[in-house]
Amino acid sequence: MKTCIFEDSKWVNLTPLSYLRPVFQLRCGYHTLIERILPRLPGTKASFYVRDYLAPLVKKNFSFPVNEPETFENDVLLINGRWLLTGEAPLDTTREAAHVSGDSLVYALVRRETIRKLWKGSLEQLLNEIPAAVPRVPLQANLIEYPWQLIHHNPTVLREDFTATGLRGLQGKFASQSVIYGPPDLVYLAPGAEVHPLVVLDTNSGPIFIEEKVKIYPGARIEGPCYLGAKTEIMPGASIREGNSFGPVCKVGGEVEESIFHGYTNKYHDGFIGHSYVGEFVNLGALTTNSDLKNDYSTVSVPVNGTLVDTGELKVGSFFGDHTKTSIGTFFNTGSSVGIMCNITAGGILPKFFPSFVWYVNNKFMKGFGLEMMLETARSAMARRKRELSPEEEAVIRTVYELTREQRQAAIRKSRKT
Amino acid sequence: MEHAEIEARVKKVTAQVLGVEESEIKPESRFVEDLGAESVQSLELVAAFEDEFDIEMEEDAALQVKTVGDAVTFIARHLK
Repeated sequence: MKTCIFEDSKWVNLTPLSYLRPVFQLRCGYHTLIERILPRLPGTKASFYVRDYLAPLVKKNFSFPVNEPETFENDVLLINGRWLLTGEAPLDTTREAAHVSGDSLVYALVRRETIRKLWKGSLEQLLNEIPAAVPRVPLQANLIEYPWQLIHHNPTVLREDFTATGLRGLQGKFASQSVIYGPPDLVYLAPGAEVHPLVVLDTNSGPIFIEEKVKIYPGARIEGPCYLGAKTEIMPGASIREGNSFGPVCKVGGEVEESIFHGYTNKYHDGFIGHSYVGEFVNLGALTTNSDLKNDYSTVSVPVNGTLVDTGELKVGSFFGDHTKTSIGTFFNTGSSVGIMCNITAGGILPKFFPSFVWYVNNKFMKGFGLEMMLETARSAMARRKRELSPEEEAVIRTVYELTREQRQAAIRKSRKT
Repeated sequence: MEHAEIEARVKKVTAQVLGVEESEIKPESRFVEDLGAESVQSLELVAAFEDEFDIEMEEDAALQVKTVGDAVTFIARHLK
């Protein structure tokens, strides 16, 4: 039996975070969604179905077939890449059935005879037809539909992930002047990680997992549950509140609460980031701050693909696409969506939606200096962290530049009229 | 539009955006080195030229415009 992890049409709801990566590479807890799915499928041949423009990049990053119709010639287990597969969530691979949550297919086992009848070359069509063609089983599943749901689930998933690793104790360097405030067995400090003097690891609300080569500088206070990815650095005096996941090679200072930093991102200085997801190679200038609670305590709405969506939640921050930069003192409104490769300078009350690649200067959207210069900046930023912009990544960025052109031009035109 | 009219309007817009006297602006004046355009003002200049002449300037092409004369030539080509 083959397994196919797919993206459905709802990838667009997860923009800007999903512009440069398939939805299953989004992070929650210690892992990306795909890192949770694959270990549940030992011994199966996995393949992916993703947006066409992402296929070369995904093929390069994984050693699996991508967008290959041969996938649908035999028994196939289809799994939605938006599934946050945690704990003991059931995955029945014995009976032909479509397991659905709301209007979305979570996963389905489809036998060879059925799949050969249904497959007509379009994944979207196949996904629409499967629930009617095989037994339909309702399933309570965490299918990530919007970015803020990753933030919502993160604290719970962080606790589950700590238990699942089974790792405990101080194997790295822990300065004697630092303290674990709370149950000491709720800390794992990997070999090669360093906790400098006068650091407080507060485990009263949850565990703290510190990966290899992390450095935590003096005066920092970290509350659990929290995950610090390899080579991440926590700056002196930082206040890392509960419920944070930081991917690898981040630099984090100031105050951060219930947020996910995908990886390779800098928030070096003071300023508050809360209930937010920050993409890769983002640089948040000193004092950059986001609101995550409205003054009237009403639910937060977020712009999603041109429409304002009520999250139903009181605390929602901002969503930053990859390679975006903010100036010193930039303040984001509650529930902002900031595209990829934006360049935003401080000024007044900011809009809630920033199309990708836009520059925001003197309270106006502007064109900026063009894609070539942005790519050059991306190359420089990545080289600083010993990463290269691959031809596949560059091709994806160029595609998204065209995909988002109309959004960007509309914002610039509107801005000039005001 | 005549070349002279384009040049006059480019000078007017440049003077407004950069806060310099029109009389100081020559075709060979470089926006950054001679007229003191900051990077943000360069963006504003592009926007102002687009509004003044009702044209679209591609970002990467606009980046090649270094002098007032370059801007006049660039805009004249767009208006044809």
